[in-house]
Amino acid sequence: MSPGMPPIIQARDLSKKYGSNIALDHVNFAVEAGRIVGLIGPNGAGKTSALRAILGLTAYEGELQVLGREPFADRAALMNEATFIADVAVLPPWLRVDQAIEFVAGVHPRFRRDRAQAFLAKTQITGQRRIRELSKGMKTLVHLALTMAIDARLLVLDEPTLGLDILARRAFYDALVNDYMDATRTILITTHQVEEVENLLTDVLFIDKGRIVLDSSLEDIATRYAAVAVAEDKVAAARAEHPFFERPMLGKKVLYFERPDVGKLANFGEVVTPSVADLFVAKLS
Amino acid sequence: MNTYVWLVRREFWENRAIWICPALIGAALTCAALFGRVDVAALSSPEQNRSMAGMAFFAFGAIFYGVMSIYSTWYLLDCLYADRKDRSVLFWKSLPISDTATVLSKVFVGLIAIPIVYFIAADLSTLLMAFIIALRSRSSFGGALWQPDLWLQLQALWLYMIISTAVWYLPLAGWLMLVSAWAKRAVMLWCILPPLAAVLAERLFLGSHAIASLLRNRILGYGQAAYDLSDRGLWVTTTFGHDDAITAPSSVWRLLKPIGFFSAPATWIGVLVGAALIYGAIQLRLRRTEL
Repeated sequence: MSPGMPPIIQARDLSKKYGSNIALDHVNFAVEAGRIVGLIGPNGAGKTSALRAILGLTAYEGELQVLGREPFADRAALMNEATFIADVAVLPPWLRVDQAIEFVAGVHPRFRRDRAQAFLAKTQITGQRRIRELSKGMKTLVHLALTMAIDARLLVLDEPTLGLDILARRAFYDALVNDYMDATRTILITTHQVEEVENLLTDVLFIDKGRIVLDSSLEDIATRYAAVAVAEDKVAAARAEHPFFERPMLGKKVLYFERPDVGKLANFGEVVTPSVADLFVAKLS
Repeated sequence: MNTYVWLVRREFWENRAIWICPALIGAALTCAALFGRVDVAALSSPEQNRSMAGMAFFAFGAIFYGVMSIYSTWYLLDCLYADRKDRSVLFWKSLPISDTATVLSKVFVGLIAIPIVYFIAADLSTLLMAFIIALRSRSSFGGALWQPDLWLQLQALWLYMIISTAVWYLPLAGWLMLVSAWAKRAVMLWCILPPLAAVLAERLFLGSHAIASLLRNRILGYGQAAYDLSDRGLWVTTTFGHDDAITAPSSVWRLLKPIGFFSAPATWIGVLVGAALIYGAIQLRLRRTEL
């Protein structure tokens, strides 16, 4: 992207409190256009609060700009260019599939009805069906069909595949990557199944106890972090290189390093880039 | 504007009872006209016929209006709660529709659209009934139901009723929506308990009953506020046979008091309170996405 172009999401000193409970504690981050960012954190880390703030579903303190707008003050206008799937199965049960398409087409200036219909034509779902009659996986596909037919610049997905079986989850992400993502779009996604989205992401934001603990692109992770599986006899020597985390694995110890001297580490074993899931565990333990 | 049309249409999709209910009442009344006893004995004079027809029309309308009031109350109490309960509020909020538009569309449906549907259903079924009775009846009562001026007066009455109840009951509607946007469960209980507690607390600690009379005047005072019931010359009593009698207004035009109603401070204080409560419901809707 060209320099000087404002980020899609810009948070400065973003805070959110529920009574005395601090969900977000003066958080700073930016999401650039064209990225697929994973917002990853344990339960109660502040993920949902961050997403709710970004989508204008909750008031917050601090500064937050999404597509140049203040989300809470301007949610309706923001939703012309941004959209979201928060959790599975939030489509109203009484709605018929064709009514859903008709309604969104009626109220959304950037909705392309033909695209939604073409997507649904590839499934078993017919327009006369009511949402309540559909399986969880089918509901998710209907929601995805509606969402992908919106020509949005920002798509936010909050646990979009929670409770779905493996086939439905795969179908969801395949459709997302193949039919939707392009350079003009930005996706922010939270999920517990980190492994599943890992090869989709361009960036990760780790969040814990209301703070951002890692904000990095995946390329940067490859140059910044290393993991080595070290045999017991070499562990003491390897520890001298200041690993920030270690865990046992099959009689060896896996040691995690930040900005390591890769040349030295190679003496202890094979140096690999940790997976996002492993890095997440290492960073938050 | 277009968005509002879609929002209202949406409410009709979700709440199919809006039209199914009056359709069923209409069907039941039509059945009664088809298979019931339609000859009224002891009607002889045109005045008696007219008076009887007027009362019949009014009674049919009142059935619709009574059911409508209950349904509309339930609708307003449920409308901002139901989609938080099934979490579909997260879908509606992903669309470019402001919470103000959402709440106002529901106020409109509860206070105007639902009464209009019932009003149309009442009209259609009374027309149908009058037609059936006119065909079936062997007494002079049959023809008596065809009274164009009576018909016109009734239309004016319904229209006036829709507008004036919407205005008069705006604060109640606002309260129902506020509870609907706020409550985590048991909307019915939350709608009744706080006013009840206020009434009891006032009685207990101050020994007065200002809140109780305020609520009573609002809930039961609509007739006094919108209609001229005191003009004794207005009422005409028609006797039947030995001791049956119907007392009815001689003219709907004299019954309505639009100028009095729309110039009364109580009317506009109510509108202000209603607007404030609806504003509160919008503010809650902005912030509360889940139970």
